[in-house]
Amino acid sequence: MAEDVKPTRKNLMAIEDRIELSERGHDTLEQKRDGLIMEFMDILDQAQDVRAELEADYEEAQRKINMARAMEGDVAVRGAASALQEHPEITTQSKNIMGVVVPQIESSRVKKTLDQRGYGLLGTSARIDEAAEAYEELLESIILAAEVETAMKKMLEEIETTKRRVNALEFKLLPELYENQEYIEQKLEEQEREEIFRLKKIKGKKEEEEKEAREAEMKEADKAAAKEPGAVADD
Amino acid sequence: MSQEIAVVGSSEFTTGFRLAGVRKVHNVPEEEKDERLDEAVTEALDDEGVGIVVMKSDDLDHLSRQVRQRAETSIEPTMVTVGGGGTSGLRDQIKRAIGIDLMDEDEDD
Repeated sequence: MAEDVKPTRKNLMAIEDRIELSERGHDTLEQKRDGLIMEFMDILDQAQDVRAELEADYEEAQRKINMARAMEGDVAVRGAASALQEHPEITTQSKNIMGVVVPQIESSRVKKTLDQRGYGLLGTSARIDEAAEAYEELLESIILAAEVETAMKKMLEEIETTKRRVNALEFKLLPELYENQEYIEQKLEEQEREEIFRLKKIKGKKEEEEKEAREAEMKEADKAAAKEPGAVADD
Repeated sequence: MSQEIAVVGSSEFTTGFRLAGVRKVHNVPEEEKDERLDEAVTEALDDEGVGIVVMKSDDLDHLSRQVRQRAETSIEPTMVTVGGGGTSGLRDQIKRAIGIDLMDEDEDD
């Protein structure tokens, strides 16, 4: 609130410094927000492609496992699934996009050869192998989707935070600072006007006093002249 | 640190992933999803050894509001939903952050 600020020149200078800093910060944050949105648009395109591929892989994997269930029976499929020895693993590294740390997910042991799967060749059929392969493909798509969608979420969080900061500066902090600046400037002008008025008044009073003093002096002189008639006669 | 993939859902949904080698599987029978899915998802999200949690999009409807919101916005681990688009949480976040429904535009194209 403007009323809370003391209207002094020191405060005015401090507020002007803060306004300059806030305006610069506002411009920088706006640029950051726009840059982030542009980066986000690129990731969004990529994410849509990845998502479409993921859904297609899921459909295919479902089709294959349904086929395996139909041909081999649910028990055989579950049996094969229980025999798996190799488990897919992921390791996450990070990269930086405009100050936002996004993950880069590396995967291992997702795609496996027949013998790596561990359920044996004799007890299972090609349908189960196909289903396993389709699900391995699906896992790869899921890993890629996780990477891209996490990047999107992190970018969105950063965009939201930056937007909030820009709005706070634009609609809260800067208007308050402008209001305070105006208040102090007005108060200082008012004080200046009062000072000028005061000085003028003092000057006028002083002049009046001087005039009165001069008049009094003249009167004194007149009186003195009237009291000394000899001096007049001598003249 | 290496992490694993977890799958949450009915055994029909998870069997395929087990076939691909996923061992962190949380099976919740279809008829018990309303009661037990929240717990299973929370357990998967709390597991530090899990980097990605996979779920069926439709199963999100069985989650309580709190767990659903946590699942949709979770970054570590990341929740990936399959079947039926599965980007509703992201879509809302985009609308909130950018101010435009970008996914809607793209779908219309």
